Amino acid sequence: MARSGKSYKKIRGIARKEFSELMHEKTFILSVLIQLFIASFSTFLVIGLTSFYDPTAMGDMELQGTKIAVVGTDDNELYNLLQESKLNTKLYSDLTPAYTDFYERRMDAIIITPSGPPQGEDILNVEIYLPKSEIKSTLISMQLKEPLEQFEQQVRDIRTQRLSGYSPIDVNIIKRGINTSSTYFEFVYVALLPLLVFTPAFISGGLIIDFITEEYERKTMELLLASPASLLDIVSGKVLLATAIVPLQSFAWMLLLRLNWIRISNFFEILLVVTLIGLILVLLSSSIALTFKDRGVSQLLYSMILIFLFMVSYLFTNSPLNLVTRLSIESIGSMESGIWILIYSLVAAGLYVLMRATVSKNTITFKR
Amino acid sequence: MPGWFTIAKWEFFRSRLKFDARSSAMLIISLILVVLASAAAAQTEMSMNQKIYSISTTEPGLEHILESDQRFNTRIVNAYEASQFYRYGDDLTIIGNNAYLAQTRKSAAAGNALENTIKEYREIVLSSYNDVNNSHPVWVTVHDVERPQNFQLLSAEETAGRLEAGTEEDEQRQGSADLNDEGGEGITPGTYGSGSSFVPPEDIEELDEYQGKTFFQRQTISTPTHFSPPIPFTAILYAFLFIFPIYFVSQFYSTSVMDERTNRKGELILVAPLRAKDIVIGKTMPYILVTILIQAVITLYIMGIPTAFEGLKNVLLILATIFPVVLLFFALSFFGAILSRSFKELTFASVFLSVVISGYLFFPAMFTNIHAISSISPITLIVRLIEGESIMLDTYMFSTIPFYFVGLSAFAFGTFIFREEDLFTQKTIKEKIVDSFEIFLSHRYGSVFLLSIVFIPFVYMTQLMLIVMLFNLPVPYSVIAMIVLSAMAEELVKSAGIYTLFKRKLADISLKNAVRLAVLSGTGFFVGEKAVAVLTLSPIASSAFGSVMTMGTLLLIPLLLHISTAMVSSLSMYRLGTRRYFMAVLLATIVHSAYNMFILRVILFG
Repeated sequence: MARSGKSYKKIRGIARKEFSELMHEKTFILSVLIQLFIASFSTFLVIGLTSFYDPTAMGDMELQGTKIAVVGTDDNELYNLLQESKLNTKLYSDLTPAYTDFYERRMDAIIITPSGPPQGEDILNVEIYLPKSEIKSTLISMQLKEPLEQFEQQVRDIRTQRLSGYSPIDVNIIKRGINTSSTYFEFVYVALLPLLVFTPAFISGGLIIDFITEEYERKTMELLLASPASLLDIVSGKVLLATAIVPLQSFAWMLLLRLNWIRISNFFEILLVVTLIGLILVLLSSSIALTFKDRGVSQLLYSMILIFLFMVSYLFTNSPLNLVTRLSIESIGSMESGIWILIYSLVAAGLYVLMRATVSKNTITFKR
Repeated sequence: MPGWFTIAKWEFFRSRLKFDARSSAMLIISLILVVLASAAAAQTEMSMNQKIYSISTTEPGLEHILESDQRFNTRIVNAYEASQFYRYGDDLTIIGNNAYLAQTRKSAAAGNALENTIKEYREIVLSSYNDVNNSHPVWVTVHDVERPQNFQLLSAEETAGRLEAGTEEDEQRQGSADLNDEGGEGITPGTYGSGSSFVPPEDIEELDEYQGKTFFQRQTISTPTHFSPPIPFTAILYAFLFIFPIYFVSQFYSTSVMDERTNRKGELILVAPLRAKDIVIGKTMPYILVTILIQAVITLYIMGIPTAFEGLKNVLLILATIFPVVLLFFALSFFGAILSRSFKELTFASVFLSVVISGYLFFPAMFTNIHAISSISPITLIVRLIEGESIMLDTYMFSTIPFYFVGLSAFAFGTFIFREEDLFTQKTIKEKIVDSFEIFLSHRYGSVFLLSIVFIPFVYMTQLMLIVMLFNLPVPYSVIAMIVLSAMAEELVKSAGIYTLFKRKLADISLKNAVRLAVLSGTGFFVGEKAVAVLTLSPIASSAFGSVMTMGTLLLIPLLLHISTAMVSSLSMYRLGTRRYFMAVLLATIVHSAYNMFILRVILFG
């Protein structure tokens, strides 16, 4: 018992040494800056996406700013649908005047309505002219989608009766006033939140490689080993620090998201998962660093393994990223999440054994 | 044989030695694992959205539709159970033909997801009928038509000048009217064809073909259900494909540079009869060549092996576009490797720089095919080249010149301090940077005038990055923060040379010198800024060139501003000493932003 107490003190000593170095070099601040950058970049994306997929989010101002020229007759079905959908349209009987107005920026898009009757046999082709390389073109495309789909539905209601054995699926979705697109919702909870909370874990995995290989390349490992601390103490101290800074940063990101009115449930379970994954990555890369002792090779190998793990995460439910998503929106029972947290703890324990084995292998070769 | 070649050869063989049998084997194994996992992942929906919505349904008929979407966690229940689940917070409950939502955002999203899934299912079922005229009766054909642009990208000072002159509106009208006359004849509606040019699809396979294209190309023909606005993600995908290898190789490069510095390993090459320039070129060349080789492979992978001259030209153009990006990546990792004092610092410096450069590449590229401003990023040009469009020389210059400039000057400044006293000592980062300025300024042609010009691309890129960073602040604050921070970047750059001269005693700290240097530095910055405006902004703002030229006397105001704010910092350094440098910059920043805010008061405060 006394032995382990002493060892703990040494480990803490190493962790403290690394921490003060980390602060001294201002690298920690730089890392927070990096993440801040990612965060603001993602928020930029969120706002971009909201407006891309949720035209209502932009308010009516932009909708009225665009003017659409419709070429056709006023009894056309599509023209009526376009008029109903709050779009700012103007009817033209011919393409040429519409095109002149478009070119001189009095109109922002031209739609040529199909002349054939819905009951007919021919395909109805809608021609749309959009301004190239202008943001308005995207806006108009989004606004046109709904009336175009309604038009397709109208024609289909008539024509699909001619298809034998076809019966449309009839599910009536009763909305409750809240309007949000699944794309936006899923972007926030499936992409943004997991990415933000796991970035510290990814960074810590790379950090520990620097901690360890640096001692070898500067030949300071010998000096450290001459002190009463063993290699295991040294590595454990470094692992401890690299893991301990993960939940701190993730906590800050979740707080930031909360401030942005993004509700996150199961706060502490998420922190637990992130810390576990951080520990797994840190243990893994400390084994890599101890084996190769070269920074370039170890970092490359770590990045490859990280990509591999990321790709594997697509393959099964409750991968760490998916687990965080499901926890944050309460889509998982506490039983199921508990089992998966246990599984990840076992993985971490396994990697701890691997790390110890690598340490003892390197202790022998090192002392000769 | 030139000196750099020897170094390059040596570097090449040394880096090969690093990979012994064991590490090569591990790397190959991990590469195979990555490829296998990616192939497996590509079979899925490539999203980690498994089972995020819970649904109870009383309709067994819907089960296979719901199970086809991995987002749904479905259970089949009877009506009573369904109502119980609904009460206890299911996202969606389907009883009979009705789908009930709860009053949460998640539930609303689930409803939207269900709607889309049903729509997709309907499309699949309808596509199985080989009767396009009845199953897909409506088609949409999109034509993208070029028309004169009338947007401007001007600095605050210029906008100010225009606002005061009250000519903004008129000039823009003038500009677009001019263009109308030129281009109006060439493009007529007839050129783009009318409805008659539409070729209806013959069968379902053709429909699939159209849909397959949408991933990489702007769709031109589709059914209303598949009709979508140009989605920005293709550009991001390309950016990833091209940027990842650069990132990896630059990691090795900076490690190699750092290696020379740890334990004074590089002392031997420094005493060899070689110039610092040769050593740097020699060390860099192998890595750049390897990266370009990798990029060539990627390009050929995307484009296919070119058969005709046209294809070969596009491949070469893509490489010419990615080259400045590679250069910038390497230049900044080189500079970072020289500045940082430990591997940790280097890791963070390189991650930070990669994130910033990627941001610079990604953010504008998202607007490919949406907005002309996207051509700031070379990735946009690459996307266009891949899509078979041609790019103009001025567009190429516009997006790559900042990269060339910043890359080459970072290399130059790094080479200046590639010497013993900076490589092997624990000097602070600030001291090292000042060292590099000192060498620049003590050169025969070096002066604060030139230094200010050299810094322009740095400031330009910083300001573009600031726009991204500050975007998510609420409106008046983001504009104010933008004004203050970009003013600070400009002031920092203008006073850095003066600070170096005073600090290192290259110039006497006298009132005369303070004034003279401020005038030189301010004028240099102004000249550089205008040169950038004329050179680079002309391709995207059709009338920018003309307006800059015709503004005449209005240009005096920004010139005076740049000189006087440089004067503020140089005089305060003269009065307070170089120790108070940061305060001097702060003072100049306050003056500069106060001026800009005064000019933009209409926008800021209504």
